[in-house]
Amino acid sequence: MRRRHGGLIFLATSIAVLAVVVARSSAPVAGQAPTTYKAPRGADGRPNLSGIWQAVNTANWNIEGHAAEAAPYSNLVGVYLAEPAGMSVVADGRLPYKPEALAKKKQNFETRLKSDPFNRDLGDPEAKCFMPGVPRATYMPFPFQIIQSTNKVLISYEYASTTRIIHMDKVPPAPIDSWMGQSTGRWEGDTLVVDVTGLNGKSWLDRAGNYLSASAHVVERYTPTSPDHLAYEATIDDPTVFTRPWKMSMPLYRRLDKNGQLLEFKCVEFSEDYIYGALRRK
Amino acid sequence: MTGQRLASVSTVCLVIVLASMSSRSLAGRAASAASQTTSAATATKWIPPRTPWGHPDLQGTWDNHSITPLERPARFAGREFLTREEAIELEKAALRQNAEIDSREGAGTAADVGTAYNEFWWDRPTNVVETLRTSLIIDPPDGKVPPLVPGARNRQGETELAHRPLRATGAFEAGRGADTWTDRSLWERCITQGLPRISSAAYNSNIEIVQSRGYVVINYEMIHESRLVPLDGRPHLDQNIRQYQGDSRGRWDGDTLVVDTTNFSDKTNFRGATSGLHMIERLTRLGPDALRYQVTFEDPTTWTRPWTAENVWRTSRGRIYEYECHEGNYGLAGILAGAREEEKAKK
Repeated sequence: MRRRHGGLIFLATSIAVLAVVVARSSAPVAGQAPTTYKAPRGADGRPNLSGIWQAVNTANWNIEGHAAEAAPYSNLVGVYLAEPAGMSVVADGRLPYKPEALAKKKQNFETRLKSDPFNRDLGDPEAKCFMPGVPRATYMPFPFQIIQSTNKVLISYEYASTTRIIHMDKVPPAPIDSWMGQSTGRWEGDTLVVDVTGLNGKSWLDRAGNYLSASAHVVERYTPTSPDHLAYEATIDDPTVFTRPWKMSMPLYRRLDKNGQLLEFKCVEFSEDYIYGALRRK
Repeated sequence: MTGQRLASVSTVCLVIVLASMSSRSLAGRAASAASQTTSAATATKWIPPRTPWGHPDLQGTWDNHSITPLERPARFAGREFLTREEAIELEKAALRQNAEIDSREGAGTAADVGTAYNEFWWDRPTNVVETLRTSLIIDPPDGKVPPLVPGARNRQGETELAHRPLRATGAFEAGRGADTWTDRSLWERCITQGLPRISSAAYNSNIEIVQSRGYVVINYEMIHESRLVPLDGRPHLDQNIRQYQGDSRGRWDGDTLVVDTTNFSDKTNFRGATSGLHMIERLTRLGPDALRYQVTFEDPTTWTRPWTAENVWRTSRGRIYEYECHEGNYGLAGILAGAREEEKAKK
């Protein structure tokens, strides 16, 4: 929102229509749903978000703007696994880190490909096939599926067979911290608003080492903007790590593949050599 | 202090035992068990709820606890059902056995360490199946897994089968090597518990069902695995795509959800079956708190005929938690590190 206001002030002398167009194209405005689209209703009168969705961006490498980079161990894998360049999905471009938290982010990046069987907090959880947390699960380079019922909305992520339930009915506060947290949902017009609490603070936001702490409170907004698009927004309030709440946004695209379905990506077995390799009998 | 604390823990355990007796034991559900076993007509009088889009509503959190064995024990040969007295006797014996497992006798011995946790953390079943059947197998009528076809016996050893009569993956059985992680079972490595899931494990035996118009999701708490079952009649996956959970297709047959699963991986192994296993599940809600779960296995390269088991899921006493199995699997690291230490000590 901040960025958008800046754009409007900068273009104050321009005609209003042009200003809106420029603001929309200059900031990642997927979250600002056009008011013209009215999503089809399910049997319960709610917009139906069911389907297989996927982000098409490079946020899992770095949610901030970044240039392309060679792959780790490019001497072994060539251009396979190289990092594509990408624009920031963060509303203000950069994350408002506290100084000490920025130092931890940098350290995370330096140690992202380190692994210790007896210290699971070391290195990027993704490399170890740990559950990706929220919001990272949304923009992993894998599809996910929303199964929308009335009292519960289930999201199944292909990556690491991760599942979360969004409780549309009343549930007690999260009984214990977890990787995917506890999600409660409500409708604001066509938007599914999901309140995520009880996160365990072990998740990272990307391979660049951006991270959340256990004090993070995430509010997600899923708004249908066409039959095949959702506008996704996540507002993150984590006073331990950041100086103020901040927001990321991106479009999500419906996978239109004929008979498309989530397949198994049970990556635990792909992570074992990485985690336990040093403990193998020589 | 310690004595007092132990006493209060025992009180808590006693309360839990009593709570579980009252919710699941025969004493607590005499009426429903009797009606379901004596008269099928009673079950049909109950009108199952529907989703807003008109499908039978199977949604909720269930558990598949049962102490009833897969195959009929010799003591009940020729009899399909237990008497109520026999059922109560079996449930009392299960409670006693659980208490013995948790006794402090032999503390520090290998057997004690082998039980991993004290009884508080376990969620062992103490109830016989709702139907009072003597075995979970309902077909063939003798309650036994049909004979194997010649050659099939070699695919799973007797010892392995004895350890896991109900599952396609091993658990924590002794005698496995520890040269590397692949010596351990898929379940122990937190990869999968595999299919089928006929009856309860020692914990995390909760199953949540969520439905939409086009899908039924069967979400297992154990190792957080969910099966997304499409209802649109699409064909099965390409035979090249093999999965631990197979590939499931569903359809409604009256009030019953029928799930047809193929495309199993050859890395799992249910009682010696091949990856050509064809599994057909039938889920029918029997009442507000009961769901009948039937599963039929067909694999002509393994068994001489198809066979069917049946369990009754009950509304879960608890909720589904996130089971971070792999993330917290320090046990596997410890097993491997321990084996390396033993090698060093031998040198």
